[in-house]
Amino acid sequence: MRLTRKLTITLATLSLSITSGVFAATTQADTLRVGMSGGYFPFTFVEQDELKGFEVDVMNAVGEITGDDIEFVTASFSGLAGMLESGRIDTIANQITITPEREAKYVFTEPYVYDGAQVVVKAGNDTIEGVEDLSGKSVAVNLGSNYEQLLREQPNADEIDIRTYESNIEQDVALGRVEAFVMDRVSATQVIKEKGLPLELAGQPFSTIQNALPFRDDEAGRAQRDRVGDALAELRESGELRKISEKWFDTDITQP
Amino acid sequence: MLDLEYMWGLLPVLLRYLPLTLQMATIAMLFALVLACLLAVIRVSKVPFLNGLSLLFISFFRGTPLLVQLFLFYYGLPQLFSSLIAITGVAAAVLGLTLHFSAYMAESIRAAIVGIDRSQTEAALSIGMTQSQLMRRIILPQATRVATPTLMNYFIDMIKATSLAFTLGVTELMGATQKEASGSFLYLEAFLLVAVIYWVIVEMLSWGQRRLESYLNKAYQR
Repeated sequence: MRLTRKLTITLATLSLSITSGVFAATTQADTLRVGMSGGYFPFTFVEQDELKGFEVDVMNAVGEITGDDIEFVTASFSGLAGMLESGRIDTIANQITITPEREAKYVFTEPYVYDGAQVVVKAGNDTIEGVEDLSGKSVAVNLGSNYEQLLREQPNADEIDIRTYESNIEQDVALGRVEAFVMDRVSATQVIKEKGLPLELAGQPFSTIQNALPFRDDEAGRAQRDRVGDALAELRESGELRKISEKWFDTDITQP
Repeated sequence: MLDLEYMWGLLPVLLRYLPLTLQMATIAMLFALVLACLLAVIRVSKVPFLNGLSLLFISFFRGTPLLVQLFLFYYGLPQLFSSLIAITGVAAAVLGLTLHFSAYMAESIRAAIVGIDRSQTEAALSIGMTQSQLMRRIILPQATRVATPTLMNYFIDMIKATSLAFTLGVTELMGATQKEASGSFLYLEAFLLVAVIYWVIVEMLSWGQRRLESYLNKAYQR
């Protein structure tokens, strides 16, 4: 009998504490809730419990201009779109690429990151300055990536010796087995910086993808989009956006 | 090979998220137990109407993945009832774990009740016990002993299932580990460490389970 009573009290306390937690959440007037995975180095990642990265810095800079409190919400990538649609977050800062399918659903800011297909060579190799110099050279691409297709669309495609790899294209270029590899510029930049391999970017990327912040396509969402979009433009003009990019990537990924 | 210094430094960071993981599992387990007992008794006594409802409930929550249920509660239902947006990730996770596991547990409790020998019922009724006295005094105490090992199994499973809460934006033990690993690139160290943490917790529970079982077995020992 005593046990039953104790259990009832425990259960009652528990349900109380849960219901009080349930209604604690959601909107305040000028809080911008920004969703991100926290697992995409160096855009958004965690070190010793601290959320950091390019996206974190950009959104904090945006908040300083708009006066919004920036509240970061981390969830696994697969959960982010659902959180945006159900109104639990206001935008996603996780390198969301603009695609026609997404544009039908969300409203985007102007792109703030331009990524693209990048030729990478062994450090000190001056003979290759871009995709036009690849004629007669061996070039590694990852199997399953769209970079082989992009190379085949080039005017000098017939003269390029394309090698398809399962993995480790960076290592093989560093060793000198092939003369160049092609992958997306931003991660290529990171591989060079993080892995310490003797590699360098050859010229500018030759095909671009554009990443921006999506908002819900309703009145409030469009207003937020305009406010944040203006702030991004201001950051771009003042050179702050470039500075943040150079801090994380040693290069400006915010220009087309 | 292993960066032990990194693992040592990560341990206190990860342990900060352990209470949330255990809280979610414990609260969900208590609610699930209550719900499962109710469902099991309804099924065994074949309460009209409620029996069919229980069947439907068990069928749905055993028949669909937990992740789908969590996404339904957290992302899906607010589209239909906009007030449900107030449900937090933790509450949605506890709700999902409760309903999902109660469906499984109801079946193992029902099996334990049905498995008690018929002679027990006949003996109890012959000395004039009512149906509810029979349940409370004779059947349930014996069924508890039979059901305990499988229920503990579900609790262990539930502790590990809390890792799905990260898809609802709840940073619990596993979510914290994933984020740390992606910042350091030391995947082996981070995931090895969190595996050991889960393992130690479950081992401690298993020790508790053995104690509980030997307590419940007292009457059967010579």
